[in-house]
Amino acid sequence: MKKMTFARIIIVLAALLALSTAWAARVGEPAPDFTATDTNGQVHKLSQYAGKYVVLEWHNRGCPYTQKHYETGNMQRLQREWTARGVIWLTVISSAPGKQGYVTAADENAFLKQVNAAPTAVLLDPTGDLGHLYDSKTTPHMFIINPQGTLIYNGAIDDRPTTDHADINGAKNYVSLALTEALAGKPVSDPTTRPYGCSVKYPN
Amino acid sequence: MTTICGGHGVRSSRHSVLRVPRSRRRWSSLLYLAASFLLLAASARAQAPPQFPAHVQLVWDGNPPSPGHTLWVGALFQLDPGWHIYWQNPGDSGEPPKIQWKLPPNFRPGAILWPRPILLGSGTVRDYGYEGQVLLMTPLQTPPELPATAPVEIAATIKFVVCREICIPGKADLTLTVPLHAQPPSNDSPSRKIFDDTRAQLPKPLPPDLKVSAGSTDGNLELWLVGAPQTHEIRFFPLDPGVIENSAPQNLDSGHGSLRLTLKKSDQLLKPPSRLRGVIVLDEIKAYKIDVPVKPS
Repeated sequence: MKKMTFARIIIVLAALLALSTAWAARVGEPAPDFTATDTNGQVHKLSQYAGKYVVLEWHNRGCPYTQKHYETGNMQRLQREWTARGVIWLTVISSAPGKQGYVTAADENAFLKQVNAAPTAVLLDPTGDLGHLYDSKTTPHMFIINPQGTLIYNGAIDDRPTTDHADINGAKNYVSLALTEALAGKPVSDPTTRPYGCSVKYPN
Repeated sequence: MTTICGGHGVRSSRHSVLRVPRSRRRWSSLLYLAASFLLLAASARAQAPPQFPAHVQLVWDGNPPSPGHTLWVGALFQLDPGWHIYWQNPGDSGEPPKIQWKLPPNFRPGAILWPRPILLGSGTVRDYGYEGQVLLMTPLQTPPELPATAPVEIAATIKFVVCREICIPGKADLTLTVPLHAQPPSNDSPSRKIFDDTRAQLPKPLPPDLKVSAGSTDGNLELWLVGAPQTHEIRFFPLDPGVIENSAPQNLDSGHGSLRLTLKKSDQLLKPPSRLRGVIVLDEIKAYKIDVPVKPS
């Protein structure tokens, strides 16, 4: 009986270790693969986008930092610009039920229409599994994966960590800069930056 | 998206227990951002908007200004229970308050002196900041000559976010009038006390008998302390973001007359930092500034 418990502990520890190594989303390393469902019931797997650039955008519409980028149209502009150039743009919502930013699929689709957003898809992650897989800290928090499946950017959307709408103009947009450099075959000059925003509203 | 602007939701000034003579405290264009149309519908239909969870005012330590000296002023925050504002490195989320001073000619503002922060947040998102009451004291350098009679009129715009489960941005336009000929405050005056209490919470330079060094291993950064007093707990607050994992435990062990604090490297760190800068807090009381080179592994 005692041995059994010990064996179980070992198994759990081994599983935890495997998880913790898998949880890393480090620039220069393979981006962790995931499967998630979007607001239209479509299933997306990261590996299905091999050969394309993929942007992950963590989102919470109740967060004033997110609102800065949507109320000014900045995020929608980025989504349009880069999806038009073949980039896959996946918005991710990791808010837990009952917490700020949690939405149903229908609610989110109405919101996308209302604010004229243009991501490839919005992935619903109410368990926070995808958020924890990438260790997403804030809304927004941005990741970029290259066509080979390597993470090439992990950080903020731009260099103005405020809720001020006036700070959109003149900000250095790290996502645009990284994509522009990568598409031109150049290394990304700022591959990690401090993401800024509200904390992701994970389940307790 | 919806934005509700204006003065509602802003807490009216409490009566001032501090030495803030003829100070006018005026909030303007404080933004209260509602989550969605649903929320707006709910709040429009019914009750008064919730009370804004932070109150901020400009204060002065009570010492009359003299030419070519330092005039001590500050932004005093009073936060509702459970709400917080942020340290100069806010950690994983949030942002530090910013003070934009509008001063009489030839007055020069210094930088905020940040009291030692506390660890906030939960789970994998951890922040550094303050709860309850906090004074962000700031030295103002006075010019070589002051006007003979007029009081010194000081104004500031303060931008901040205040967070609990959610975050609300705040902006306050504040003024403070400092008379030229005030009696210096007595030792037990409230204004003096709050500045003295805050000074006691400012991180100090390392004492000469406490030696700190830093090293880098595969996944960790290590801080070594030699000559530290009997200590049960040490927490390191990094000045630079993206160096350590803010949510990882900081393990303390001892041996050979020294203490070792192990800090997990941030996933965002692409190469070991050349220096480790920040504040160490011993047993939640003593706070020291550190800035040490990191020895490679």
